[in-house]
Amino acid sequence: MANPLPLRLSHIAARLPGKVCLVGGDRRVTFGELDAQVRSAQAAVSRRVAPGERVAVLAENSPEYVAACYGAWRAGAAVVGLNTALKAPSLAAQVRHAGANLLIVDSAHPMRGPLLNELAGTTEVLEVVQGRGFPAEGGPRGEVLTAPGDAASIIYTSGTTGHPKGVTLTHGNLAENADAIISVLGVREDDVALCVLPFQYSYGASVLNTHLAVGATVVMERSFLYPHGVLQRMVQEGATSFAGVPSTFYLLLERTELPAFDLSSLRYVTQAGGPMDPRKIREFRAAVPHVDFFVMYGQTEASARLTTLPPGDLERKEGSAGLPLPGVRMRVLDESGQAAPPGELGEVHVSGPNVMRGYWNDPEETAAVLRDGWLRTGDVGYLDEEGYLFLTGRSSEMIKSGAHRIAPGQVEEVVRAVDGVVDVAVAGIPDELLGQAVAAWVIAREPGPDLRQTILRRCAKDLPRFMVPSVVTFVESLPRTASGKVRKHLLNLPEEA
Amino acid sequence: MSIETRLRRYILENFLFTEDEEALSNSDSFLERGIVDSTGIMEVIFFVEEEFGFSVEDEEMVPENLDSIDALVAFVGRKQAG
Repeated sequence: MANPLPLRLSHIAARLPGKVCLVGGDRRVTFGELDAQVRSAQAAVSRRVAPGERVAVLAENSPEYVAACYGAWRAGAAVVGLNTALKAPSLAAQVRHAGANLLIVDSAHPMRGPLLNELAGTTEVLEVVQGRGFPAEGGPRGEVLTAPGDAASIIYTSGTTGHPKGVTLTHGNLAENADAIISVLGVREDDVALCVLPFQYSYGASVLNTHLAVGATVVMERSFLYPHGVLQRMVQEGATSFAGVPSTFYLLLERTELPAFDLSSLRYVTQAGGPMDPRKIREFRAAVPHVDFFVMYGQTEASARLTTLPPGDLERKEGSAGLPLPGVRMRVLDESGQAAPPGELGEVHVSGPNVMRGYWNDPEETAAVLRDGWLRTGDVGYLDEEGYLFLTGRSSEMIKSGAHRIAPGQVEEVVRAVDGVVDVAVAGIPDELLGQAVAAWVIAREPGPDLRQTILRRCAKDLPRFMVPSVVTFVESLPRTASGKVRKHLLNLPEEA
Repeated sequence: MSIETRLRRYILENFLFTEDEEALSNSDSFLERGIVDSTGIMEVIFFVEEEFGFSVEDEEMVPENLDSIDALVAFVGRKQAG
């Protein structure tokens, strides 16, 4: 059984106290310093919550976020890493749904005030100042030893304010998946990963956790807004790896002169978060031929990652998501629940030590995707004769846009609340850069540009930028099944769109 | 219309979906306030290129040039002067 991540951090900190583990802006934090911060965080959490309770954390990628997370783990609590792009009502709904007993919040975060207002004193709050870390509050209590089956992390992937959906991952899940990733990518102590992905998402968390677990370094870049700056940072820090989603690589190809940067330290990149155009992969490899390109496929429900396509197979198996990671089993089932023969389409089911315990406090949703240890991924595809997975689409309605997963219901809830909107359906539409973009079909009493603007304004106010529809189409009716469910695959864009 | 007014109107209409001038101060960081994301910044660049008739070089894509109305106004001014 793999050692839980918080324990591994203690071991690494004891062995490599002076080695830099986190770099962000001008700050460089060593394992020794991080461990001290984790201890302070652990003491602060232990004072306020009991083992098994939940701690929500609202902070951008930073040493404070990492210390809060590992500190809460050492205190035996489960961490709810809040998506920093969300607005206060959604954040508060997640804090409440998780029954978080403590909220650790970056005192400078723009959503701090609005979230505290929403919570109205119902949750205890611990404020942390970036750069100052956790206050020392006397000697910490002993570290709580976590069992592999204990909840470590609750990641809200989606959900309306009325129905948040929290993927509950155990310490066993995280540790096993970290080990599988470390082994296929060959992550090692002298690695330096540049991470633009939020740690609150499973992909970003996996970059963080795998590197801390082996004593490597993570360079945190706040966002991918400025690709040129990200590349300069990679050169400065001698980055050995970089993790991205398809749009990240498209932007690097289109908006930077990759060969002009000295990326000689870079060993490999990983790409997950939806299918990437194989032509673009070829283009990227041609620009930096010494860099290994790992295509990966994963799900939050499976801790982070499920498969990888070895770089040596990129040409032979073009378009494939690859082979299961060590410990992961995979099968493709047809509509009758039988294993589909090679080449035949079906839904991808997986099992393994990385598959979640379930959705937090939601036996119904859990039962819908988990059966006998097998997870229905909602992804459709086929296995070839050699067992390589090829994904062709999704059976679930979840929209994948850039690095984000968007539940249509969350956008529909906001649009439906706009005065004059009778009904709405939201679905993903193909987008060259993002994979999918958000589109809304609206039935309205008085459709027109004014209402469109009102809808967009409301969305921009209540939702993060990535959930705001790119297209709003007014329609007379929505195609429905006999039971009244909207048949989203029948929604069409207007000619001019 | 001044450079500042054109830029403000564009950001207000396309990213904040409002005509309310109060919604955006010239020094507001687009990144800090979550106004623009990595695809949004490309839209801003395309707008600036088209509206002001110059091309934004890759190495000019830095927050110092693009992350607020103040930064954009100064950047456009420098580009037009040079």
